[in-house]
Amino acid sequence: MSTPARRRLMRDFKRLQEDPPTGVSGAPTDNNIMIWNAVIFGPHDTPFEDGTFKLTIEFTEEYPNKPPTVRFVSHMFHPNVYADGGICLDILQNRWSPTYDVSAILTSIQSLLSDPNPNSPANSMAAQLYKENRREYEKRVKACVEQSFID
Amino acid sequence: MGDEFESDTVVASGNQDELIMQQQRQIEREISESTALVGDLEPIASLNNEYSNDVVYLEKIKDLASKYKYMRRTRPDGNCFFRAFTYAKLERLLDNKIDFANFYKIVEGSKHALVELGFPQFTVEDFYDTFIDVLKRLGDIKTATDAKKELHTLFNEQGYSDYMVVYLRLLTSGQLQRDQDFYSCFIEGERTVADFCHQEVEPMYKESDHIHIMAACAAMNTGVRVVYMDRGTSKINIEHDLPEGTQPSVHLLYRPGHYDILYL
Repeated sequence: MSTPARRRLMRDFKRLQEDPPTGVSGAPTDNNIMIWNAVIFGPHDTPFEDGTFKLTIEFTEEYPNKPPTVRFVSHMFHPNVYADGGICLDILQNRWSPTYDVSAILTSIQSLLSDPNPNSPANSMAAQLYKENRREYEKRVKACVEQSFID
Repeated sequence: MGDEFESDTVVASGNQDELIMQQQRQIEREISESTALVGDLEPIASLNNEYSNDVVYLEKIKDLASKYKYMRRTRPDGNCFFRAFTYAKLERLLDNKIDFANFYKIVEGSKHALVELGFPQFTVEDFYDTFIDVLKRLGDIKTATDAKKELHTLFNEQGYSDYMVVYLRLLTSGQLQRDQDFYSCFIEGERTVADFCHQEVEPMYKESDHIHIMAACAAMNTGVRVVYMDRGTSKINIEHDLPEGTQPSVHLLYRPGHYDILYL
């Protein structure tokens, strides 16, 4: 059945294929357009460089009026990523706008990797190291990068 | 970029954002089960039931009933102004083919104007297409009575209804940004007009203030009269026309936090 959310997700998918932003990719799962798998490549010149981080995106019928639930499947060490992979990012919560699409979501998460917000921590250890011990922070992140090759 | 909650007590394993959102969804479900997106016409006196022991309000309902015959309730979901305004505007246009055609032309030019302001074409188009589709469907219906029935049906289908709301929100945001020199003095704090639009105008379920209404009126080229009903001690309701001095074609009832539609 075609609903506004499903119709819109087909459009998002088409756009992502025709005009893919650098360093991100995503596609619906085989039998359900409401659940997508995505990959974000670690941005250059950040400790996340070379990592391939997997995510799932779950949409409801209220998309695009409400944001989807986005979660890292790959293990992450980042100030704004919870232990369960959930992401603390304003545009996925109280600053969501219906003008965002899947491309915009993935590129926003990509830039969150480059620019964490340690004042709004989802992982307090990562936030503390990011602020006080950047070397150790980068070491822990690099371990995630290596882990992401195996996943 | 993170969210705005500043909390030192976040539990590392618990995802608090999700808990908050879950609770929000529960509240929204309860509201949506009890109120239609846009209700049927009701006599003004139907308000009496809500305020049976409230002398101030009963007096004001009497005043309201001396000026208006009916009201139409909208769902209190934060979109009520935008939904009420669009519904009332279109309903009114269905009585006059020429006004309808003129309005259609305004809407037709609006997508391009938004893209020129920097809105993402791809997503704006999605909402624009639905808005135009609804106008076409209504315009193709021969009698105003049948067209109004279709309007009511479409506005109670969440998919259509919410897309109409989003597009008016985008038009309102566009208007604010186009005339930002004027609107910036109405915005409190350090926010730019663009920030204000991203945070308070474009997202669904964000409630409307005076500034939203002014910009929406300008974007839709429409005058609106807002009748304020509150606990103030005066016996009559205060009326406010926007923009000032215009003949209003849409009449809205405002009770703190909520807008419904009024009929003369």
